[in-house]
Amino acid sequence: MSAAAPVGKSLRLGGLARPLRRTASVLRARPAAAVGLAVLVVIVLVSLAAPLLAPYSTDIASGQVYAPPSAHHWLGTDDGGIDVLSLVLIGGRVSLIVGAAATAVAIGVGGTVGLLSGYFGGWVDMVLMRITDYFLVVPDLVLMIVVATLWGPSLTHVILVIGLLLWTSTARIVRAEVQSVRSRVYVRRARTIGVGHLAVIWRHVLPQIAPLLIANTVLSVATAIFDETSLDFLGLGDPNGVSWGIILEHANDRTAAAYGAWWAVVPAGLCIAAVIVACYLLGQALEDALNPRLKVSHFSIRSWRLRTLVGRGKGAI
Amino acid sequence: MIRSGYLLKRTAFMVITIYVVITLNFFMFRILPGSVVTNLARVPQSTPAFREHLTQEFGLDESPWTQYVDYLRELAHGNLGVSFANQQPVASNLRSALANTLPVVTLATVLSLVLGVATGVLSAWRRGTKLDQVSTNAAIVLYSLPTQWIALILVIALSKYLPTAGTSDPFLIGHQPFWPNLEDHLIHMALPCLTLVLTLYGGNTLIVRSALLETLGEDYMLTARAKGIGRGRMMRSHALRNAMLPITTLVTLSLGTIVAGAILMEVVFSWPGIGSALYRAVQERDYPMLQGGFLVVTVSIIVFNFIADLLYFKLDPRVSE
Amino acid sequence: MALLEVSGLEVFFDLPDGELHAVQGVDLTLEPHDRLGLVGESGSGKTTTVLGLMGLLPPTASVAGSVRLDGRELLVGGEQGADSWRWKSMATVFQGAMNALNPVRTVGWQIAEPMRVHGTASGTARQARVRDLLGLVGLPRAVEHSYPHELSGGMRQRAAIAMALACEPKVLLADEPTTALDVVVQAGILELLAKLTDELSLALVLVTHDLAAAASSCTRMAVMYAGRVVESGPVEEIGTAPAHPYTRRLFASVPDPADDRPVASIPGAPPRLDRPIVGCPFAPRCDVAFDRCQDERPELLDLTATHSSACHHGAESLPPPAPVAHLGVPAGALADGGLSGGSQTPAPVLELADIEVAFPGRRSWTDLLRGRPRPEVRAVDDVSLRVLPGEMLAVVGESGSGKTTMAHTIVGNVEPRAGEVAVAGHDRRTMTRRERQQARQQVQLVYQDPYESLDPRMRVRAILDEPMRVSGVGGRARRAEVADQALRQVGLTPPELFLGRYPHELSGGQRQRVAIAAALVMDPSVVVADEPVSMLDVSIRADVLDVLDGLRRSRSVAVVMITHDLSTAAHYADRIAVMYLGRIVETGPAREVLSNPQHPYTQALMAAAPTLGRTPRPLPFAAEGMGADARVPSGCRFHPRCAVALPSCREHDPEAVTVGPGHEVSCVLPLAQGSEVTVS
Repeated sequence: MSAAAPVGKSLRLGGLARPLRRTASVLRARPAAAVGLAVLVVIVLVSLAAPLLAPYSTDIASGQVYAPPSAHHWLGTDDGGIDVLSLVLIGGRVSLIVGAAATAVAIGVGGTVGLLSGYFGGWVDMVLMRITDYFLVVPDLVLMIVVATLWGPSLTHVILVIGLLLWTSTARIVRAEVQSVRSRVYVRRARTIGVGHLAVIWRHVLPQIAPLLIANTVLSVATAIFDETSLDFLGLGDPNGVSWGIILEHANDRTAAAYGAWWAVVPAGLCIAAVIVACYLLGQALEDALNPRLKVSHFSIRSWRLRTLVGRGKGAI
Repeated sequence: MIRSGYLLKRTAFMVITIYVVITLNFFMFRILPGSVVTNLARVPQSTPAFREHLTQEFGLDESPWTQYVDYLRELAHGNLGVSFANQQPVASNLRSALANTLPVVTLATVLSLVLGVATGVLSAWRRGTKLDQVSTNAAIVLYSLPTQWIALILVIALSKYLPTAGTSDPFLIGHQPFWPNLEDHLIHMALPCLTLVLTLYGGNTLIVRSALLETLGEDYMLTARAKGIGRGRMMRSHALRNAMLPITTLVTLSLGTIVAGAILMEVVFSWPGIGSALYRAVQERDYPMLQGGFLVVTVSIIVFNFIADLLYFKLDPRVSE
Repeated sequence: MALLEVSGLEVFFDLPDGELHAVQGVDLTLEPHDRLGLVGESGSGKTTTVLGLMGLLPPTASVAGSVRLDGRELLVGGEQGADSWRWKSMATVFQGAMNALNPVRTVGWQIAEPMRVHGTASGTARQARVRDLLGLVGLPRAVEHSYPHELSGGMRQRAAIAMALACEPKVLLADEPTTALDVVVQAGILELLAKLTDELSLALVLVTHDLAAAASSCTRMAVMYAGRVVESGPVEEIGTAPAHPYTRRLFASVPDPADDRPVASIPGAPPRLDRPIVGCPFAPRCDVAFDRCQDERPELLDLTATHSSACHHGAESLPPPAPVAHLGVPAGALADGGLSGGSQTPAPVLELADIEVAFPGRRSWTDLLRGRPRPEVRAVDDVSLRVLPGEMLAVVGESGSGKTTMAHTIVGNVEPRAGEVAVAGHDRRTMTRRERQQARQQVQLVYQDPYESLDPRMRVRAILDEPMRVSGVGGRARRAEVADQALRQVGLTPPELFLGRYPHELSGGQRQRVAIAAALVMDPSVVVADEPVSMLDVSIRADVLDVLDGLRRSRSVAVVMITHDLSTAAHYADRIAVMYLGRIVETGPAREVLSNPQHPYTQALMAAAPTLGRTPRPLPFAAEGMGADARVPSGCRFHPRCAVALPSCREHDPEAVTVGPGHEVSCVLPLAQGSEVTVS
């Protein structure tokens, strides 16, 4: 391997060079991941600019009740005569905020638990994993419903409830990865030469699990948004806010279906699906890229080929 | 024998988990700040008489320890308290709700598993082909659609053809022989069941496909290929048999998704099951019902987890302690 | 017409940017009873050749050439056509039997499967055949109902062989069947393969990177380099008079206890196969290359009726490979004895006295309920050792002998339960925490796997800097200077070329040298090397071992080398300590132990170790007495496997007796045989 050439280049980019290059190569190799990333970027930008883009207010009626799509209301109006397009644009903000914030809570808690558990092992691991196991068997949504009901509906509560119940899978995944990194010889070597625990985690363990953590974060955002939608739908979200989940709740509560008002239902659902598909594609691609076992298959429908070698008489068929 | 240690351990885990959940239930509703008892003012129908009733119901004048012992004793007798809303015992409310939920959820789960395994295997078999791409992308989209949205769309699209609310036609009850009754039931079940199948199917397909793809890269698959056994047999006897392990684990982990799907589906279709019961309990702040519902759902999931552990034990000769 | 005739076999793999020409025209001929050793380093195309023969290549591959089995062309049928002959006429045993067997099916089921599918036997006949096959490969019948994870590595490999024989194939391809197995187990497997070839009139292809294994168990040998066979012929001819310069250097890179010739790596690296090769692919590494070698790739030409070589020198007699001087040490000096023969004995730099290390074992639930105590596994039991400055001690043993645990005890990673570890005369037990940390720096460990021991996300500079920075050695400039020096010392010059690289940009040998350099920066007085070359290609092992050897000569560093390879130990070490189940059973000067092994276990190890140009000797004891069960037998712990055990060995744990100068053995036999011994 002629290694002299790339040395100078990666020196300038510093420690970020490799992860960046790797992410770029994942995106290049998997167009689906690039699509996912693009969709996410667009949705985030649109949500940021939503107040500028929304044609009407989301508080005041601007048309008839359940008016079908028209030139004035591209996506029609809802049960209160409020413009659906504006609702969907503004509603994305809450869903994305909850998705991001709850994921931050989940990754923070889950990442820490997984890191401690996997790194220290022993009784720390036992205690933390028992707790995780309990959380893992309890059905998330039911526990969320109970807690959200007891705490009362509000945006902060929704974020906390989702975040505090979402961390278990992150903890499990991080723990498994840390355990494998921990058992690698260079980590043991670092401990042997007297590097402290914190430094070992920071310098040797975290960089190794970072890609997996990123993939897991992206996938967690999808789950968080899903949960948020469900809680909103059950009337446990912020009662005064607008979100995609609340749009669906209103549609169900005020029998949009009976009016045949599909326009009050379809856009919000498609937006949720778009975010989740995008997260899934991106997260899954990152995860797959980390899984060497997926690169081999002994069960391919295509088979190896015979080739004729031109100009080589001996042995050619 | 070491292998039996595994069963012992899983049984112990189940028992302990159930106990933890029961205790958690007690704490959440009575001790933690923000719970019903520490914050009576938040209860909507909060008249002095109602407060008195609550104090009685939960035995609030006792010490926490006495309350806890009482709670466990009542639970042991199957007493989950009395619903605020309809003044019926919570246990009997839940029993009828469960009877409505189980058939539709079971049917939908089985259907979605069968379909998911079928398309998952097909996708893995023809990895990288158009068929795989179409099937996988469809699965991802279905997986990403919220249950309540699927339910609403089905109602809008199919309300002309199929009933969209309740478990049976109210005019038929009691006056009809068995078969038309059953038929009516099944017709009412169609949309709720379809909603759940669509919700669960995508995830199942993706799980089966990725578990199989990982298995297909293992060394023993190369051995199988070298042995000259056919592709069908390779898939059945080697790949699928091994992939059953991660599939079991992942499907078990998605039990929560089934519960969530059932709750949302029941709310849209006014299906008088456990999900609707929970929903109503939330709306009416019917704490005894909420507490009971939480307990019943959680304990059932724990039991299903245990069953999955047994299955795993049967499938994998390597599991021991 | 030969049984198997391969001619002009080529294999290409599609890469994202181009093509890899992995096999570039292989010709092989096999008759029944032939045992062909297909030898080559990693990347030489030997495994791809096997996969190509079996039609098991991935879809990214394309194949050309001809493979005839019993006169039938196999390749034209493609993957589909393979069904008619695969496993019935030609079967394989894969590397790493752990993963090659399906973990959720019983061994019997897997052996029976090909018969079921190909319809060669059914019902009770099939059951009977499974049992016969198990007997044939030396496994007990009960194994039929076992799952792969319940068997030891050697047993699994035997089961895989039984599976391969199920449909009575004519050709058996064994791909690295003994890699990762212990020497003694490996000898058993090789012996079995040889026996089966004879009894069943098979033709065997043994693919291996281990020259000695091929030389000692095959009748013919084909050496692969850069996707082609460069030399082939009878083992005796190649073994005694290798013709191709690559083969000659390959032989020269492997130490042979039978003779004292110098050992040297082959400089340079094999060519990349994703680019067209012009001229002889070995020319850049060859010391006898001339003009023609640069332009014209030599064809495989017959030297005698059976021996052929692909070299422009043809049958000319070549000078013996020139030994390469390393690190300023005269080449000839490398094989000389160490310092142990000196007149005055310096104070030992490392001393272990009665060391005992135990790990808690697993306790089952039933035992817990019955109140039985937690069992313990005694990894190291009552071991005493002394190492002098500048001395190299080799600790030899199988896996499970406790040699790695001992390495970690010496370094201080593992606390002994009893006994004394003294470095430079200071007992570690009496030290304060701080002193102990300092003492730790005196003893450095070099790990087995250089692919694992260096953080893939750190540059060489940071890897070398980290231990110094952590211990607060010097300023930045001083540390850089030390790192520079360390790299020079391990032969990575100029250092600037390597400091900025990541481990994945280095070759295996370079990585291991960086690992040694990382140990050197702390200026240790003892370096413990745990199997330092077992993960490296044979041709570059000598380089790394020479680096270690050079250290003790130039810096008087004491080296403790943990190894399973008696030949390497014999060649490099001054003294050898043989470990068995946590005990040192024999220790003494390397030459003395080798020429006059006293303990039956040492004798068994020597018999099992394949050596160049020697047929395997029958093993003096059952090869696989020890399974996963780590219970220590009573009396002499070797007695259950010992061919010459006396009844008293079951009860009496023998004391160490001195049988020669510095040569001690823990066995009663030297006493019983009346040698002149003194009880120590």
